[in-house]
Amino acid sequence: MMTDATLEPIPADIPQAPKRSRMRSVFSKDRKAQFGIIVLGLFILGALLAPLIAPYDPNEMTLDMMGSPSGEHILGTDDLGRDLFSRILWGTQISLFVGVATVAISLFFGVLLGVLAGYYGGWIDMIIMRYIDLQWAFPNFIIAVYLVAVFGTGLLNVIVAIALAFLDDFARIARSMVLTLKEEQFVDAARVQGFSDIRIMVFHILPNAMAPIIVQATVSVSYAILGEASLSFLGLGVSADTPTWGLILADGRSFISQAWWLGVYPGLAIMLVVLSINFIGDALRDALDVRDADI
Amino acid sequence: MAAYILRRLIGAALVMIAVATLVFFMLRLVPGDPIAAMLAEAGSDEAREALTRKLGFDQPLIVQYFKWFGNMLQGDLGASIYGSNQPVSKIIVEALPRTLSLAFLSFVIALIIAIPAGIIAATRKNSAADTAVSLFAFLGLSMPDFWLAILLIIVFAANLQWLPAIGYEPLSAGLWPWLSHLILPSIAIGTGFSAIIARMIRSAMLEVLNADYMRTAASKGLPTRIILLRHAFPNALIPVITVIGIAFALLISGAVVVENVFAIKGLGRVLIQGIQNRDYPVVQGAVLVVSAFFVLSNLLVDLLYAVIDPRIRYS
Amino acid sequence: MTDKDLHQRAMEELKDAYDFDHRDPLYGLNRDDIRGDTISRRATLRLLAAGGALSMAHVLPGLRPGAAMAAGHSGGALDCAWSGVGEIVTLDPAQINQVLQFQIASNVMSGLMHIDNSLVAQGDLAESWDVSEDGLMYTIKLREGVTFHNGDAFDADDVVFTFNRSSDPEQSIHSRVIGNVAQLEKLSDLEVRFTLKRPQASFLTKALERASGRAMTIVSRGGIEALGLAQYGLTPVGTGPFRVTSHQQGQNLVLEKFADYYDPERPKLDKITITPVDGVEPLAAAMEAGDIQYIGGNPVPAQLVDRFKNNSDLTVDVKPGPGFQSVWMNPWRDYMKVTDFNKPIEELKQEKGFMVRLAIAKALNRDLFIQQGRLGNGVPAHGTINPAMGFYFDETLAETSEQAYDPEGAKALMAAAGYPGGDGFPEIKLQTTPNTKRDGQVVANILKQVLGISVAVDPKDFSVGIEEFQKMDFDLRLGGSGGDYDPDDGLVDWMQTSSKFNGPTRDKEAMPFGFFSEADADAATDEQSVTASPEARRELVQAANAITSNKVACGFLYHPVDILVYSNAVNVPADARIPGLHELDRISLA
Repeated sequence: MMTDATLEPIPADIPQAPKRSRMRSVFSKDRKAQFGIIVLGLFILGALLAPLIAPYDPNEMTLDMMGSPSGEHILGTDDLGRDLFSRILWGTQISLFVGVATVAISLFFGVLLGVLAGYYGGWIDMIIMRYIDLQWAFPNFIIAVYLVAVFGTGLLNVIVAIALAFLDDFARIARSMVLTLKEEQFVDAARVQGFSDIRIMVFHILPNAMAPIIVQATVSVSYAILGEASLSFLGLGVSADTPTWGLILADGRSFISQAWWLGVYPGLAIMLVVLSINFIGDALRDALDVRDADI
Repeated sequence: MAAYILRRLIGAALVMIAVATLVFFMLRLVPGDPIAAMLAEAGSDEAREALTRKLGFDQPLIVQYFKWFGNMLQGDLGASIYGSNQPVSKIIVEALPRTLSLAFLSFVIALIIAIPAGIIAATRKNSAADTAVSLFAFLGLSMPDFWLAILLIIVFAANLQWLPAIGYEPLSAGLWPWLSHLILPSIAIGTGFSAIIARMIRSAMLEVLNADYMRTAASKGLPTRIILLRHAFPNALIPVITVIGIAFALLISGAVVVENVFAIKGLGRVLIQGIQNRDYPVVQGAVLVVSAFFVLSNLLVDLLYAVIDPRIRYS
Repeated sequence: MTDKDLHQRAMEELKDAYDFDHRDPLYGLNRDDIRGDTISRRATLRLLAAGGALSMAHVLPGLRPGAAMAAGHSGGALDCAWSGVGEIVTLDPAQINQVLQFQIASNVMSGLMHIDNSLVAQGDLAESWDVSEDGLMYTIKLREGVTFHNGDAFDADDVVFTFNRSSDPEQSIHSRVIGNVAQLEKLSDLEVRFTLKRPQASFLTKALERASGRAMTIVSRGGIEALGLAQYGLTPVGTGPFRVTSHQQGQNLVLEKFADYYDPERPKLDKITITPVDGVEPLAAAMEAGDIQYIGGNPVPAQLVDRFKNNSDLTVDVKPGPGFQSVWMNPWRDYMKVTDFNKPIEELKQEKGFMVRLAIAKALNRDLFIQQGRLGNGVPAHGTINPAMGFYFDETLAETSEQAYDPEGAKALMAAAGYPGGDGFPEIKLQTTPNTKRDGQVVANILKQVLGISVAVDPKDFSVGIEEFQKMDFDLRLGGSGGDYDPDDGLVDWMQTSSKFNGPTRDKEAMPFGFFSEADADAATDEQSVTASPEARRELVQAANAITSNKVACGFLYHPVDILVYSNAVNVPADARIPGLHELDRISLA
């Protein structure tokens, strides 16, 4: 994710388009990946069904404040008497949404920039790469902090801030893949046939460049979830009324020794989801035969 | 080589100028009125005007920019607009040892965990130990650092009362006061980082162990321990060196959050406080210094890379 | 002496304090009463009353029978936490804008006067003083042989220097405090004379007071020259009981005993380390671990109060706090628009905008808020006048005010305004600071439950929020005031058309006033400021207070409490307990 942009890419073997069988064999052997798929699946299910299965309204306050986990409130209640399980369940929606939306935006624009830069080269490449170099001078999280400070807090702003912060990673990968691929025979062949640049980029180059991008995207989802949690923790996150894991943790922070569950469960949820995604990402890396150097 | 270094240096300088410019203008987009915050409840209209004049906020933006830029070139980053207007350079000079101490100790802790873990995992590939290391690495990567920080405070500061919960003591106050304040935050930051290094050491070791010269050494009957520590490990460390570039980014990002949990006024806390107070000069200064470190450490890593790996062309 | 007796005696003292003719520049006091080297308790109370700065909180402490405290021995070191703050931004009196800053500065620098806990105004650097017949000239003889921490001798030039510095708005943010001084003359090396523009009863006890005054806290010329302004703000040089020996911002601040302090009895402690602690858990952990033995700064977080009370190693001392917090409503928003409050209340109640305002105020379940939001620490508020003001506090307002809690009435009003059950009401924002976000959530929840309206809590950094508040660019805002010891602090500062917080930077074309403007309240407030008879003043204060409450200047929420927490190893004598201050020079180790 942080390789050097200004170096020419090291000539690499072009990964073959992944065969489905290879994917299956990796995932059937990799227990970590299986764990990841199951856990993540449960969280996704929980997120989708939250309105149905959450026992309480996540924002409903009661005077049963900081109640310890019990039959009534399986994960206890928070400092305002809200049911922690319901809040974490609803938080799953937000956290996963932030993770996926962020990466979707980042991936689209990052790949666009990277492909344009790599395919056309010249001044387009120069301008895009200068921008990417510039962004690269900052750690991603610092960029996100900084952008939220400029945009203000809120769900959309946080998504845009994190997406922008990740942009350079995708652009860099896409560009280096395109640079390698555009010298390939099949691209020449397409050119000879008179296909348009857009068609060549979208239908010939991109599919062959997807493997490292997919792996990067998977990893980025987990970073985005962590990033949102960290921003919320610093008071720079999603609005105060939206239960996200980072916010639940930040709000619970002041009450953590009277109510340990406020500090443990939301953190555990973050960790489980991020862990699952990392497991899956790792298996994808194997299955798609992506080397660390490509990312 | 010299030309390459020069080219990279110029590039780095240009990036820094662009960063400085962006920072200056984007900050002016930030909503919020520093003067109102500064005067709090004490403000009269005349005090407000006096302050605006004093801080130069009444001048056109472009004039403010060139003034600031000119001063910056002379090492003058301006002064905080709060309280008794501490010079930004002084604030940063005070914050730096804290962040660097934290970064250094986090790095040390990360290495203490990662080196044995990585070596064991590589030499006993697919064993239970390897799996454990790999799981630890995944957990370390997946655990939010601020969460770990809070858990550490609860266990080691609040309950066991072994270590202080907050604050910082400089090294000049003694080794233990310094260390005791930094251990918990360093573990909070270092754990995630150790996961990355352990994985890198493992895969680098595996690559080296499979290399021909290793097999040769083994066939000559050298003891495994010697092979591992004298030959394999040093070679495996080479890619690890390149992690230092990433290290800085991770440590700074971690420091922003963790310094706030432990109330250590390092660069990260200076930055967040600056943002919260709309203290333009402080935010500008902090972002510049953080970026400068980042640009320089990347430059250093690239140069190291170039030295280590002759395949890289200095184009 | 029981609390009831105490209260009775306090009331008597208050009455006596106010028993004078306000046209008399000496307020019924014999000139000898206020000359010399201290001002008696009776005279001080009277001066405070005349200056509009007297409260029950002032009267009570001195009445407490001197508890037989084991006198702590001298020497030793104390570690303090300054709560709720990441760093002490400045200690330069000219720049101080937070209570938690002058809590420290007052131990490092001297003023000319200092009021002790029994409300005797002691000369600090003033040895004795005299007041002219017309009450306009104050001649002050300065203490001899006083030195600054840097060894410079203190004399009249330092007073003049401080005065000139504090009068200049470019150099000091407190120039208004001494705005009534026409002239300051140096009569000799140890004598100065202030000439006032108008008589000001509180001049000695307010403008010259070392802690709350700030403007005449004596700074060191030599110190400023040698250190420069920025460094002086961190390690100021003064003549106070402690000198700052090191100050690493965001780390800690070290005070050491100043051996040449003019009172050889003080300070008791050799060394004090003050660590700013931002965060609840670290504060509790540090206190419980014994790393810290005393908490100053911002109020102790509510959730720690019971926890500290249950800790037998700690002493927790709770007193009524001087302040109020409110839900402010923007009368220029369409759905709660009121363009003119100068109508009979019954007429106002016919306006849809006013109905919504009143409904919001009536919906505030203050008891629930205090229980849930403040974890039981607080007193329901229905006006700016707080219980610490004792004599002026109106206990009946909780029942008589239009905005007393009444969920059914609130619902009916919303329905009458066209929003039955909250239907059709836009989603609005409640602005808070990051620190008051939780309070805001409780308020939003109450409004949702009672009125069925959606209120989004919008925490904004203080700097952003205050700007929007002053511009009248908000829907609802949670905020208020602290350090209000006198009715003026609430009424004059907040409730008048010309109040300094009442939309000072709004678009004055579009909005003729800020959040509230009512002619009768303005008049009553103006009049109470210059009314001397306590009963008469109380009547005016309570009248103004009732108008602002009934016509919903804002939805009044609660009055905070003042909580001091320290380890049993620390001896905090009664004379060190001045509300809002920390008299560290009187504190010792038990």
